Amino acid sequence: MSCSPFDLRDYYLKELTDPQQRQVESHVKDCPACREELERLRLTQAALFSLRDEEIPQRIAFVSDPVFEPSGPRRWWTAFWGSPGRLGFASAAMLSAALLISAATRTFGPASAGLSSTEVDHRIERAIDASEARQTSKTTQLVHELAQKADTEHQLRLVAESEAEYARKQAYSAELKSGEYVTPASN
Amino acid sequence: MIFRAVEDADLIRQATRGGVESYNLLVSRYEKRVYNYLLRITGNREDAMDLAQDVFLKAYQNLRKLDDPGRFAPWLYRIAHNEAYSLFRKRRPEVDGETVEPEATDMGISVGATSVFPIELSLAVASALERLSPDQREAVVLKIYQGFKFEEMAEILSCPVSTVKSRLYTALELLKAELAPISPRGVS
Repeated sequence: MSCSPFDLRDYYLKELTDPQQRQVESHVKDCPACREELERLRLTQAALFSLRDEEIPQRIAFVSDPVFEPSGPRRWWTAFWGSPGRLGFASAAMLSAALLISAATRTFGPASAGLSSTEVDHRIERAIDASEARQTSKTTQLVHELAQKADTEHQLRLVAESEAEYARKQAYSAELKSGEYVTPASN
Repeated sequence: MIFRAVEDADLIRQATRGGVESYNLLVSRYEKRVYNYLLRITGNREDAMDLAQDVFLKAYQNLRKLDDPGRFAPWLYRIAHNEAYSLFRKRRPEVDGETVEPEATDMGISVGATSVFPIELSLAVASALERLSPDQREAVVLKIYQGFKFEEMAEILSCPVSTVKSRLYTALELLKAELAPISPRGVS
């Protein structure tokens, strides 16, 4: 039992008036038993403070009056996503589902994704046709160019030959005029 | 008292005139305290979170009924106390409403996670608190952790100051015996 003029617990918890507090302080200075009791109270409170407050998992906020009536599903939704464990589980489940769907629906080649085999065959056939058409067009163009080139060369050769023939005739005429050639009848 | 640029009373007056942002600021000042109070008396994080939402909703809806804005904190905790005990009654409807008590298991308190205290001490404290009756534990929570005066606690718990003191001091004696036992040479 304490010999303090007022309850030491009231004093420690600051529930006394100022004059009462001063009286207890004065008493405690000369009373080892009360000092020890106060020390035990201090240790008890310090131990209790070893349990810290937790952070609130989700901030509470109000936007406007109409939303002030939380529906059951909304509260369930809030509580569900407020739990880190559930959030982690849901994330893992979504990832697993995405992997399974991807594995089940995936086909090789980006162009064939989501198409039937008939459609794929049809598209391949069209692609081959288009490729062949491009190749044929290129070949035709090349042949045409070669033909044009050969024709040009042939024409150039003919021109050259005509010019040579003309030159020979001119030379023969000149010789005749100069009399270098005597016909056998005149001999 | 921590100095605040805008006092709670001003925010309450603005909120009663429809200032939702003022109320949001008020909520941000109290949400962690109210959540931890509810957590320590319910022992369940989800219950504490749901109840905290309901408490602030109910407080907003009844803000005009608050006669003295200076008594907002005990008034808010009174709502929190009532909401928690309403939940306990729903969970255990066969028990009379006045005698219903929260389950005294799983305090739901994080132990030593970011504490500067040794984890053994935190465990000892959690264990000692669990051994208290729900009324005693609530008195300790309101006084030691929430810092209310006896008169405010009486308002929150709707009982006489003498009852509040009785519960608290019985609890403190039990806690003191466990957490600060007398050693042969004095305080351990």
